[in-house]
Amino acid sequence: MPEIKPAATILLEAAVKFLEEELAPTLPAGYFRFQTRVTINVLNTVRRELELRAAHAAAERERLSAMLGRAGEVEEMSAELAGRIRDGGISIDDPGLRTHVRQSLADTLAINNPKWVGR
Amino acid sequence: MAHAGISISLEEFSARLTAAVARHIGPPGTIFDLQRLTGGATKSTWSFDADVAGARNPFILQLASSHSPVPDPLAGITPHLTAEEDARVMIAAVRGGVPAPRVRAILGEPDGLDPGYITERIPGESLGARIARDDRFAKARSVMASQCGTILAAIHRLDPAELPFLTPQSAQQMLAAQYQIVDHYGFRLPALELGLRWAAENLPKNPRNTVIHGDFRNGNLIAGEEDGIRCILDWEIAGIGDAMYDLGWLCVKTWRFGGRNPVGGFGSREDLFAAYEAASGLSVDPAHVRFWEAFGCIRWAVICLQKGLRFTDATEPISIEQSAIGRRTEEPLWDFLNLIEDRA
Repeated sequence: MPEIKPAATILLEAAVKFLEEELAPTLPAGYFRFQTRVTINVLNTVRRELELRAAHAAAERERLSAMLGRAGEVEEMSAELAGRIRDGGISIDDPGLRTHVRQSLADTLAINNPKWVGR
Repeated sequence: MAHAGISISLEEFSARLTAAVARHIGPPGTIFDLQRLTGGATKSTWSFDADVAGARNPFILQLASSHSPVPDPLAGITPHLTAEEDARVMIAAVRGGVPAPRVRAILGEPDGLDPGYITERIPGESLGARIARDDRFAKARSVMASQCGTILAAIHRLDPAELPFLTPQSAQQMLAAQYQIVDHYGFRLPALELGLRWAAENLPKNPRNTVIHGDFRNGNLIAGEEDGIRCILDWEIAGIGDAMYDLGWLCVKTWRFGGRNPVGGFGSREDLFAAYEAASGLSVDPAHVRFWEAFGCIRWAVICLQKGLRFTDATEPISIEQSAIGRRTEEPLWDFLNLIEDRA
């Protein structure tokens, strides 16, 4: 089946453009303008997620595989790592762990709020 | 109009509020400019003016819902004060020389409104981003960290015996509460687990337990351009705990609202600590405060998590604002990592 067009990311851009350029300027300062801004940010987050998540997940899967010494899926490997941190199976000062966590956080922030890193 | 669980018309609400003002503060109580400032499932804040003995007075009305629409499985993990207890804390704070809103009325059954209270309304700026970054607050910013130190010393001097309903929480108990919330949702995030373990391994040894505000930060205060801090708001999670909790929470990066300075975006830790020491006669251990700043990052991350996942419990209807906050969980986790690695 051919790809659906326009791409989901384009739809999101179009929605943001309408809200930002046409709707928001008509709104006086207050509840509705604030909520519109929040909605714009959410739509941009979803667009970035569609653009970036697959690559992040692939990289995360490789890092987790290296740390756990096995193949697996991102979700369950991450959950296992979380469990090891909780029960002390891995030191919180482990450099590999710190690198992994830092990269994972940076990746998630690139989706949710790119301005936060380097702030 | 539904407000905090009770469905009455705006007209009826206004009439009851007029009667409440007349009853508690003084007649006639005629209401002007009634506006809802914030509202949620469990509480709402209103601004209004009222005629008291011929003078038009500015007031704030805080209402708490007398019943929750859906039982909250995590209720009680963070002790919330009732409206009356909240008011009593503010009354004690004002008596203790702390700038808090002056309570003018505590609502009772005859008022026919939800539990709540009326306070004076203080003019000034409450938006954190403006206080932290607008040029017109530059002068205020230069004094605000010191003011925080002095005010916190006064809060920590309040007598717990006068506020027997306040819940004591040790660092251990606060940490256990975070695990409880995370486990309720079955959420497993390595970055968060790292933070929780770090806290467990670094709990402060000799806390000084006092009355604590619990949410003392930029965003919960009113400031003026010339005079700085005029009023501390949002006392409803006040409790008894490690005094340094309040100083640490104040330094959490989120509450800098994009400002460059560590204390609320407006000032330095040195100013905060020096003023606190001068006002309290005690010395501040920066490492002790750093623990609470780090813990504050973890706690805010868990709050964001909770807001993002509450829809799964159906304790709250889905909301764009709350779900957007859910996507902020990684921000304080990033700040936490930088803080403990001295990259802050």
